[in-house]
Amino acid sequence: MTKIILKFKDKVLKEIPVEKELITVGRKADNDIEIDNLAVSGHHARIFKMEDWFLVEDLNSLNGTFVNGKMIQESPLKNGDEILIGKHVLKFISSDVFGSKEPEAVLKKGPVSETMVIDSKVQQEMLAQISKDRSISSSGEVMGRVTILEGSTDQKEYDLTERMTSIGKESSAKIRLKGFFAPKFAAFVNRSKEGYFISSASGKELRVNGAVVLGKYRLQDGDIIQVAGIKMDFSLKE
Amino acid sequence: MRVIAHGKTDKGLVRKENEDTFCIEEDLGLLAIADGMGGHASGEVASKMAIEILKEFLEKEGQALPERLSSGIKLANRTIYEAAQSQSQLNGMGTTLTALQLDGNKLSIAHVGDSRAYLIRGGVIEQITDDHTIVSEQVARGMMTKEEAARSGMRSILSRTLGIASEVEVDMEELTVSEGDRFVLCSDGLSELISEDEILYEVHSTKRPNLACDELVNLANQRGGQDNVTVIVAHLHRENLLFRLLGILGWKRR
Repeated sequence: MTKIILKFKDKVLKEIPVEKELITVGRKADNDIEIDNLAVSGHHARIFKMEDWFLVEDLNSLNGTFVNGKMIQESPLKNGDEILIGKHVLKFISSDVFGSKEPEAVLKKGPVSETMVIDSKVQQEMLAQISKDRSISSSGEVMGRVTILEGSTDQKEYDLTERMTSIGKESSAKIRLKGFFAPKFAAFVNRSKEGYFISSASGKELRVNGAVVLGKYRLQDGDIIQVAGIKMDFSLKE
Repeated sequence: MRVIAHGKTDKGLVRKENEDTFCIEEDLGLLAIADGMGGHASGEVASKMAIEILKEFLEKEGQALPERLSSGIKLANRTIYEAAQSQSQLNGMGTTLTALQLDGNKLSIAHVGDSRAYLIRGGVIEQITDDHTIVSEQVARGMMTKEEAARSGMRSILSRTLGIASEVEVDMEELTVSEGDRFVLCSDGLSELISEDEILYEVHSTKRPNLACDELVNLANQRGGQDNVTVIVAHLHRENLLFRLLGILGWKRR
């Protein structure tokens, strides 16, 4: 059996049996092991099973993750290892045979630059864990809409259904600008899994809620967009 | 609209085999790229199967429709999965597959995995596929920042792959194209080492897709070439009289 003992200054706070193949550690409430301390990042680290081994990975936390006093990015765990997160210690206890051997095989499969797929069960668990947080998700089920407030365009309202929506005079632009001096392309809206992102094109000045946007900006419900003489309102609907 | 495209694949400097495959079928308006994985060279089998099955399916089906592209990819998935189940040396093989198909001024985009497609338009580069990796799923749900994701040791772990299960969910997108649009498809061997802005620069700085491909592959190898590198660069041109004439005379652009 495998378990984790959560300690603070040598005092045992909790014993957590490891029944899943993925355990997250952090300050936020959606973690499996929640540590309410400012030295701990929101999503600080995770402990997961790969092949026969458990590994701990730091999720690029502010204060880092240490195993037996050594700062790690990712490290295999064996029986008795102590993971230090902030001022809390997570002691890894495992009576399984694997927990006492040197897990060389896993190390080779650790941080990699090559494409790989992990055990589908672990993958499913990770995804299940991820989708618990669906409320944060901003795209997928929602659709973006732009309503023209000022300026000359071919319609008053546009649903942003395509992957990329162009704003400009070009015939392929969904939000079609009128007028001789209108630019071919003034801005683009990219609908990704992470939400709607706007960026300016052809060096045109783009403002959202009055502030100039450089690079890409993630649009939020109610944002006011200004570019190439038009002013529009962005909204998200179910 | 018509596509002028060039592709290049290289095994890189570290890997023994090239498990990437790509295809450019101008008659079908099809551009596709697959990055295979698996032991005993089975990754190469998987990526080749994915491309071949998709191509054959579209040749038979004729006209482009987003659903066709998606059906072709699902068929490829099933076939690879069954092959992997039936032969022990192919066990566990899988592949990514990213495909674009042009029909008039509509472009269908379909993908599974982390091989990317970019659109370059109006001096801006935009990624038009979402990586199917565990890490990017977490970024999408706000559990991790982009900066954390870029440094994560797990960023190559795919959340969706062809050939691993009997069913697969395919991401489908549509896009209205215009003359002058340029597209880039690449495997992660390229996108891991070269930034969006660098891709934009290389593709923008020449009118010839083959030169841009050479530059990008060279750059990836200069930076270590840790993985197989594959890239397709495509330019869209309006179908004009000259092109039609060349077509009649039997000229083929390479």
